[in-house]
Amino acid sequence: MSVLRLRAALGPARLRGPGISWSVLRNYSSASAKEKASRSGVCERTELLEVLKARVKQLQAGHIPEVTLNKGELAPLSSDKLQEPLWKAVAPGPVGQQPGPRGGDEKPSRPGGWAEKLKKEMHVRQLKVERRLSIAAAQLAPEGQVKDKPKVKAKGKTKTKAKAKDKTKESLKSPESLKSPESLKSPESLKSPESLKNPNSAKSPKAKVVAAWSQSHTVPRVIYPHGKPRVLAVKEVAKPPRSQSGAKDSSQHKVLQQTIHSNLECFLFLQKPEEAERFLLLYHSSPAKRRLLDVNAYNIVMRCWARQGNLKHVNRLFSMLEAAGLQPSLDSYAAALECMGRVPPPAKAVHRCVQQLKHNGFHVDELFQKCLFEEDEKEMVLRAIRIVQPEYQLPPPPSPQTCTSSLLQDFYSKEKMVSYPKLDFSVQELQERFQRQLEMELDNTVTIESVESTKPLTPQAEKARELLATLRSQWHESLLQALQKSKRSMARLTTGSGYNTLYPYLCLLPDEEYVAIMMQILNSLSPQGESLAVLARELGNKIYDRHVTQRKLRSRQLEKVQEIYQGYIQLLARDSQPHQYLPREYWEKLVADAGFGPSLNLRDCSWPYVLLMRLGMHMLELLVRAAKVPRNILNPRLEPKLIPVLYHIYSFRSSGQVGLIKPHPIFSQIMSDAAEATLTFNSSAIPMLCPPVPWTSPNFGAFVLNDTKLMRFVDGAVQHQLLLEQCPPVNLHPVLDALNQLGNCAWKINQPVLDIIISIFNDKGNERLDIPPPVSEAPRPPTVPGGSAGSKTQKHELLLYKKKVAEMHSLRMDALYKLSIANYVRDKVFWFPHNMDFRGRTYPCPPYFNHLGNDVTRAILLFAEGRPLGPKGLDWLKIHLVNLTGLKKKNALQERLEYANEIMEEILDSADRPLTGRRWWMDTDEPWQALACCMEIAKASRCPDPAAYVSHFPIHQDGSCNGLQHYAALGRDLIGAISVNLMPCSVPQDVYSVVAQQVEEFRKKDAEQGVRIAQVLQGFISRKVVKQTVMTVVYGVTRYGGRLQMEKRLKEIDGFPEEYLWEASQYLVKQVFNSIKEMFSATRDIQNWLTESAKLIAQSGRTVEWVTPLGLPIVQPYYRSKPTVLNCGMQHLSVKTFYTNQKPDTVKQKNAFPPNFIHSLDSTHMMLTALHCLRQGLTFVSVHDCYWTHALTVDVMNQICRQQFVALHSERILQDLSKFMLETYCSPGRETRALWQKKLMEQLSNVPETGEFNLKKVMDSTYFFS
Amino acid sequence: MSQICRSRIPHLLRTAGRYKEPSPGRCLQSGTGPGPQPVLLEFAPGPGVLTRTLLNAGVKVVALESNSAFLPNLQSLENSLDGQLKVIYGDFFRLDPLVPGTLKPPAMCSNKLFETIGVAAVPWMADVPVKVFGILPQKKERNMLWRLLFALYECNSIYKYGRVELNLFISEKEYKVLTAKPGDPRAYQALTVLWQLGCEIQLLHMEPWSSFVTNLKNGGLWIPKSVFLPNDHLCLVRLTPQQNLFTGGLKPTNATTFIFMVKQCLAKPKSRLTDRLQSWSLDDAGKLLRQLEIPRKAQARDLYPEDYKHLFEALQNSNLFIETWFHDEALESIRNINL
Repeated sequence: MSVLRLRAALGPARLRGPGISWSVLRNYSSASAKEKASRSGVCERTELLEVLKARVKQLQAGHIPEVTLNKGELAPLSSDKLQEPLWKAVAPGPVGQQPGPRGGDEKPSRPGGWAEKLKKEMHVRQLKVERRLSIAAAQLAPEGQVKDKPKVKAKGKTKTKAKAKDKTKESLKSPESLKSPESLKSPESLKSPESLKNPNSAKSPKAKVVAAWSQSHTVPRVIYPHGKPRVLAVKEVAKPPRSQSGAKDSSQHKVLQQTIHSNLECFLFLQKPEEAERFLLLYHSSPAKRRLLDVNAYNIVMRCWARQGNLKHVNRLFSMLEAAGLQPSLDSYAAALECMGRVPPPAKAVHRCVQQLKHNGFHVDELFQKCLFEEDEKEMVLRAIRIVQPEYQLPPPPSPQTCTSSLLQDFYSKEKMVSYPKLDFSVQELQERFQRQLEMELDNTVTIESVESTKPLTPQAEKARELLATLRSQWHESLLQALQKSKRSMARLTTGSGYNTLYPYLCLLPDEEYVAIMMQILNSLSPQGESLAVLARELGNKIYDRHVTQRKLRSRQLEKVQEIYQGYIQLLARDSQPHQYLPREYWEKLVADAGFGPSLNLRDCSWPYVLLMRLGMHMLELLVRAAKVPRNILNPRLEPKLIPVLYHIYSFRSSGQVGLIKPHPIFSQIMSDAAEATLTFNSSAIPMLCPPVPWTSPNFGAFVLNDTKLMRFVDGAVQHQLLLEQCPPVNLHPVLDALNQLGNCAWKINQPVLDIIISIFNDKGNERLDIPPPVSEAPRPPTVPGGSAGSKTQKHELLLYKKKVAEMHSLRMDALYKLSIANYVRDKVFWFPHNMDFRGRTYPCPPYFNHLGNDVTRAILLFAEGRPLGPKGLDWLKIHLVNLTGLKKKNALQERLEYANEIMEEILDSADRPLTGRRWWMDTDEPWQALACCMEIAKASRCPDPAAYVSHFPIHQDGSCNGLQHYAALGRDLIGAISVNLMPCSVPQDVYSVVAQQVEEFRKKDAEQGVRIAQVLQGFISRKVVKQTVMTVVYGVTRYGGRLQMEKRLKEIDGFPEEYLWEASQYLVKQVFNSIKEMFSATRDIQNWLTESAKLIAQSGRTVEWVTPLGLPIVQPYYRSKPTVLNCGMQHLSVKTFYTNQKPDTVKQKNAFPPNFIHSLDSTHMMLTALHCLRQGLTFVSVHDCYWTHALTVDVMNQICRQQFVALHSERILQDLSKFMLETYCSPGRETRALWQKKLMEQLSNVPETGEFNLKKVMDSTYFFS
Repeated sequence: MSQICRSRIPHLLRTAGRYKEPSPGRCLQSGTGPGPQPVLLEFAPGPGVLTRTLLNAGVKVVALESNSAFLPNLQSLENSLDGQLKVIYGDFFRLDPLVPGTLKPPAMCSNKLFETIGVAAVPWMADVPVKVFGILPQKKERNMLWRLLFALYECNSIYKYGRVELNLFISEKEYKVLTAKPGDPRAYQALTVLWQLGCEIQLLHMEPWSSFVTNLKNGGLWIPKSVFLPNDHLCLVRLTPQQNLFTGGLKPTNATTFIFMVKQCLAKPKSRLTDRLQSWSLDDAGKLLRQLEIPRKAQARDLYPEDYKHLFEALQNSNLFIETWFHDEALESIRNINL
């Protein structure tokens, strides 16, 4: 009761008018409190008052909140003084958010600050008390067991009973039981029987005030309705403590929560528990904002204190948690125990804590199975546990689960398990490679030699380089100063500013690192400039990546990874024992053996997109402001004046204005003069020098240090990661294993081809061969007299010229990056770690140089592993060559082989004298790959025994119109299946020609019937006209888009009358659609069914989700989101985030569903093929629907590819989809009777009929993939 | 056919009896002194309702129509009159487009148009050689205002022939923009500054939207939504180019840069002018502003149109705009307007 009375005492303070000074109020409140204390003889009350007085003193001294229920224990003032400067410098004060008055200078603001803190604390207490009372009342009223109450209290720590009533009491007790025994007294005193019976009884004047107050402040009660219902809630919630923050939360909520968490994590990283707590209080003290806090937010602050071994504060947070109506989670207990491990309290306290933990439905073992420990947290928790259970042993690791998908039964069956294929490296070698990779990633950036560097250095360049070096050191200095200055001014400001302050984020790294990141941006900026948003994002991401690296180092995660990796290479190295494990399984086993539990995963602390952008903008502003160059540096006649190197300008585009950052022409000039011989990349842009860390979870895998996400997604989207995290880990195993398999393929460089390419690249390039020429080779600019005075045509020419130069520059740079990276790894063996997009399509992580690239990059890649050609290998090489030329597409394999043999002389000539001979290779579809293939054929054929020739050359097998293949198989369309080569045929079928024929037939009929446009089109319908439209039908092209494509094609035909363009294209697209409908009748039905289902789902306000046959959950990330406008100093930045409006974008959801679904199927097919190839010991990589392997193993791969296609489509894919969607979107009990629900149910249950194509035929189809 | 008509909304089909004083014809005649009346060029007359009014008022009209559907009617009207009306097939909105190669009708070149009308170029300081009259289509309104502005400042296209007077029906919200005062948070824009500097702006007549009907299917009007500015009328506005436009440092040769400068400044109207100037690598902005007696804390939207002109002239003198980079961006922005 005393707390309530105290509140009464402080009541007027809360309701003070704006004009009353604080000193007056303070006097009043303390005086009246004393008075009351003397009047009432209750000792607890006096105690509490004393506590408060002490508190007032503390706060006046500017100290951080201490536990208030500690019998007025005064914190030593000396330490306060020591802490004060720090506090002032860093505290992100809440005051700006508070209604209290704020003065400009320090003196008046201080009392405001402490008084508010006090107020907050009172508020917390008061809410607690109120709740306790209301619960108590609710309990008492129906049961009428007033007498029970003291008994329960007396026990304090009654053992668990099944009764709901007791459970409530227990849960209420929980924080207290963590506290020291003394502190238990005061809350108990609140529950004197008197006050419980009738809390509102007006026995004393003070109580009257209380009553009045609580009546006028009923709001908190409404917001936190407690009492009976909570009893049930406790029961339900107790089990899954973490799922509380699950899917039901709105996205906005999620993003705000993420912001709070990342801010708190910052403080944790900086080891500033006071600030963390202050920040938390900011939210905790406001009922509206408090809803944004989940138990994890409190946990982070607890961990802050736990790291310092400050049990008092941890206890306090437990009571705050309770006040907020939240259940402590496993992590809360972990923090408490960690703290107890650091500064061991009496065993009794530990015992109580463990009891409490068990009582909340957890088990001690779970701590070590589920919590993500960092640094020495685990040891500390263990130490605490062993205080009460000296014999405690770590729990055994959970037994690994196995995927049960029917498609992969063979793959995962332990009986058929074979040992994992070995690499041609010893353990020692792999260890060294790992060290090199690690060093590279620790450095964060890699500076490599540019392939252009071979050019001789001109004196001009030398001079420019010197100049650049001096400028850079100046910029470095001024950037550093600017950064420090901005940090200082922010530190001064933060006491007053709101929660979105960037200050803590500017403290995470050493200042030098921020400057280095800014310098990187400055050095890589293109002369055309770059959009502000792109640069801001890049800067923000770089800082984030760097921070994650720091965290990995600090949390000792890296040490653990190093240790595990050392064991892991035993699986791959040639001189180690065979192991019957998959990489992921082996890694998991090693982790389990080492007893690391889940702690290899870093706690997720991703920063919200808006924050990244803000941080990036801040950096960019510093950069623009600080980096300057004397404007007379190139022209000494001008005045010596410093001008900024970068300038900000708006570009007016059709969609509105876009802010650009451009380098000053002086700077661009110096850069181009210097022609620097080095390029700097992020370490993640370079292929890995050791086998990638296997993916074992959505957050762990690929690079050693660089943070890589399993699933790529658009900025600001959180849905995919959430979905993956909620998915049972075992469901992801097939996908993870497939990605590991793709990433484990070792590569090397085809050096002769690379050398030829570089020689052409450095010699003016060659547009026909796709080697971009340097900008100096651009056509001369049109001469315009007197600036802008030219005529319109001249202006136009000038514009075209500028555009051309910009294009050439970007193409040239792209090629330069690719070739330089290739050149850097030319003598090395390297790996491409893989991840995937949201549909499961896989991509190599390094962005510039990888096997997904163009003809040039593909031509310089070879498998590091060599295999003899075998009996048919040479033939496959030849067929592959003919495929690359694109010459014999309609011929049988045998004919292609014969053709290759016919032109053998040309092939050998190309191989021997690529640039001086007859250059046959240049006139092919893929010249560089063709050249590489020529060379390989030459080498193999000149070998005495070609079958024994060890080849590293990848042979490709392409699906023919892979999307339609999946559709035809889904719908079992006979005619369609034939046209996309699902049926065995002697020659490859060409679906485009078939469609063109069909369209021509329709046209003839119409022409005979006198349709004008059909007559006009006579002789114009060809394969080429229909190709693009047919190809894109799979990807959901509409009539509108199809017509535009047609129009383009018709325009290209000479002699087509222009006036008929519109009509003809309209007609043609209709006929193409009709033809496809005829050939792929079920396909169109399926497409329509998918579209219609997606439409209804989106209209019902949900996003379309499904699960691939391999178990990968997919959600379409299309929302109608409003951009958030970030008000940054330089410019307003519009940022798309997904929190203002979470409604799905119906049109996109609908139109994108069929193609996305088909892509999810083709990626499934690829992964199945990859996994089964692994079991057969094949090297396998893919570029979506193009599969690569050695010449020796092409036949085996082809067979597996067909088997897996048949297996995949033998699943009831559409039925499963329908079932899944019915469960997801039409679950019973939720508005089942609504009209849309009925309609949706009908739609989803109505799976389209299929045709009579016999899927097994695919097994014998040669040209299915060829 | 109906499609084409609808795409030119608001296309006015005004019943002849519903005129309210003053009629557009009177409006157009007022304000010109004695002597021979300049030719009146009406663009996109459509069915010719307004044309007839003009003819009735005794004005000599050249009608420029791009829709072949309306041509026969107009031509028969032409034939019925004794040279008072001349009908030309052509599109005013695609006059001198910035595309290479020969122009396909109805796109046309202003040289050819003026040759056909029989009007020769006069010096800038001379009287108005031609009056233009018409309704700007709502969807293209803003784009057209920009294109005309570029032509005006560069003395290109129709302005090659002198100070051509425009009499345009524009929506009320655009009128509010054109006539906004500095400091107006919503209406004061780059367009405002440039038009006010370039032309004398007179409001001749305001007519509520309700007096117009269109052939839109539902019979309604396609009135663009306007949240911050009133938009209840179509306004007949006269834009007469200022004689003194090119008397200072501003010349047709550097006018693109001027336009671009104004656009840059007002891209973020609340930003301080000093910040803006600084972001273009001009760091003695303070001195420059002091010379121009512009307060150091002035926001971009606080400056009068004349201030911008003075600022530009000062910049020209300080040799800071020789930097070609500014010019490149300016070029880019013309291209986007002229597409």
